[in-house]
Amino acid sequence: MSGHVAPHRWADLWAGRVGEPERGVMERHAQSCRACARVRQRVTRASDSFTTIRTQPAPEVSWDAIRARVHWSVSTQRRAAHRHRRPAYGWLAGALATGIAVALVSGPAPTPAPASQPIAKQDQPAPQPAPPPAALVGLVSRASGDVMVDGVRPADLFARRLTAGSVIATAEGRVDLQFGDKSAFSLGPRSTIELRRFDAQTIELAINDGTVDVVVAPRTGGQRFLVDAGDQVVEVRGTQFRVAHDKSATTVACRHGLVAVSDGTGKVLVGAARRVHVASGSPVSSEPVVALSSDELATLAQATPLALPLWDPAALVQNSAPLEIATSGHRDVRVDGLELGLAPLRVRVMPGRHTVETADSAGRFRRAGWVDVAATPHGARLEIPAEPPPTSGITERRHQLHTGIDQPRLGRCMRSIAKAGLTGTYVQVELAVDAQGAVGFLNVIDTDLPSATASCVREVLADVRFGRGAAATWRERIDL
Amino acid sequence: MAAQVMLGRVKRDTTGSLATLGPADEADLIARCKADDRAAHDELYHRFRRQAAGNLYRVLGDRTDLDDLVQEVFVIAFRGLERFRGDARLSTWLYRICVNVALGKIRTRKRRPAAIGVADLDATSADPSLTERPETPDRTLERRQEQERVYKALELLAPKKRIVLYLHEIEGLDLKEIAYLVDSNPVTVRTRLFYARREFYRIIAGEDPPDKPAAGEGGEP
Repeated sequence: MSGHVAPHRWADLWAGRVGEPERGVMERHAQSCRACARVRQRVTRASDSFTTIRTQPAPEVSWDAIRARVHWSVSTQRRAAHRHRRPAYGWLAGALATGIAVALVSGPAPTPAPASQPIAKQDQPAPQPAPPPAALVGLVSRASGDVMVDGVRPADLFARRLTAGSVIATAEGRVDLQFGDKSAFSLGPRSTIELRRFDAQTIELAINDGTVDVVVAPRTGGQRFLVDAGDQVVEVRGTQFRVAHDKSATTVACRHGLVAVSDGTGKVLVGAARRVHVASGSPVSSEPVVALSSDELATLAQATPLALPLWDPAALVQNSAPLEIATSGHRDVRVDGLELGLAPLRVRVMPGRHTVETADSAGRFRRAGWVDVAATPHGARLEIPAEPPPTSGITERRHQLHTGIDQPRLGRCMRSIAKAGLTGTYVQVELAVDAQGAVGFLNVIDTDLPSATASCVREVLADVRFGRGAAATWRERIDL
Repeated sequence: MAAQVMLGRVKRDTTGSLATLGPADEADLIARCKADDRAAHDELYHRFRRQAAGNLYRVLGDRTDLDDLVQEVFVIAFRGLERFRGDARLSTWLYRICVNVALGKIRTRKRRPAAIGVADLDATSADPSLTERPETPDRTLERRQEQERVYKALELLAPKKRIVLYLHEIEGLDLKEIAYLVDSNPVTVRTRLFYARREFYRIIAGEDPPDKPAAGEGGEP
């Protein structure tokens, strides 16, 4: 090599595309030539940044808007192509009809009318039959107990795409089925429902027996959502409501929105936090609409069907998995902070790590563990051990607590309070002691003391030594 | 086939493995798309949208009109699926569309220089797995400036040279792979790449980009 080194050769050197002898020559040249050393530095820095550029993640863009525009664009083109596709013999019929018309009006003509001109006027596109509305797909998002689909208990319940005609039945459990963004229904125990019509235009569910809780996103113009319950038809436009139907009566309760209940005789509107009870054989228009009690409202809120965000059935089937939470007996569970009702149950979750909490006998949720879920058809299973049996040694432990408190130390804690003349104060604690006498937890759950004093009292209590004995968890109010 | 074996690299999706699809699943997806199955279109879009956006973003160096470009890629893809013969992976084919869309965008910029926007590279950060320790602000600034310099130099190249250089130097593809993506032959790509590299590194080195063929290896820095 003679003279200076070309810049791109420094890039070759950086990428390891230069042989050893030439490399030595280039290195030596850079040591003696400040200009080339500077060029080398610049080229190396640029080459280094290639790696960073290569690993730049995709920026977030408005994915849904793009998807909508893509579909619009593609479908518009397809419709246009369809319009321009003329029927094979249409032009011939048009030309024939025009020829006859011309002959009738102007008498015999020496030459037939040119075919192209009238065709343009008469060959209107034939009215196309309206395309059938797109079929909807429903996916199970939560299930507990036995669930039957079309008369069988499917092993792949969470992978099933439920479409029109499917009949779903529950035993003692329940099943939630999502069919759109913020749209789902939850079939209660001992209930049967049929997806009579299930397309983008009309959703018609027929409940034969039992209870269904429905949440429906607002319908657009032309879309209908109906629930057939015996003689009554329940229609909504965007609401959350419950329909309970059996041989003797139908009850429709609305949590929010507006529900129209009709039969052959008339129609009543059921507004938010109201319900109507229609006895079998009675006309709906004669039944009063009454307000829901707070308990009934709470029950409706608790029964809200589970709907996953960003509804995309095709992606959900592949990118989600069922998580089975197995408990001995029925216990309320929460997954990632979301209350799901009584376990054992299965719930659809996205892949990743999920925290599961279960409620104890007192209704307090405690962390039961976490589980890693992969996007496989089998998902994951978490077994939650049975809750420890209720303790029987509370009296003994309570006695140990009271006798073990270091009273002089407790007095020092309370000294400032006593000097201020405050009496009748208390601390309520919750504590657990195991069979070995070790304190599992000690929490101050209520007090009227200042926090520093309460903390001091807690330390005194924490230093109480328990001996071997029965395990106990209890709440203790200590008057000071 | 080169196109078949390449693009483990090309179909890289830095945000996840959604773009990874087995051959059987891919064939099924394509068949459903060809049958105008809306759900299949959605699935294809969902699987490859990030890959497409990432490719376009890295080629162009900024996110101006990125929404429109991603849309253009998928419109072309859905319209052209009928002609997709399956001689390359779907991800490769989509990458090829991305390259062509990006090329079109670069040409438009050349015609309208006022619209040039170089590298809003702080919009996203580098892959955190590449940095063992949190980057200092100085280092971040330095890295950003360096990337801007690279993209500014790329802007000065002719569109065809720029694409070839990008695919070779930054994406690390070989001549056959690049030839497939830019619908050319490897010899042409090699020639184009030779001139592109020489020009690019001269700009990086602080020299004026040569308007005429350079004098060979031993030019003055």
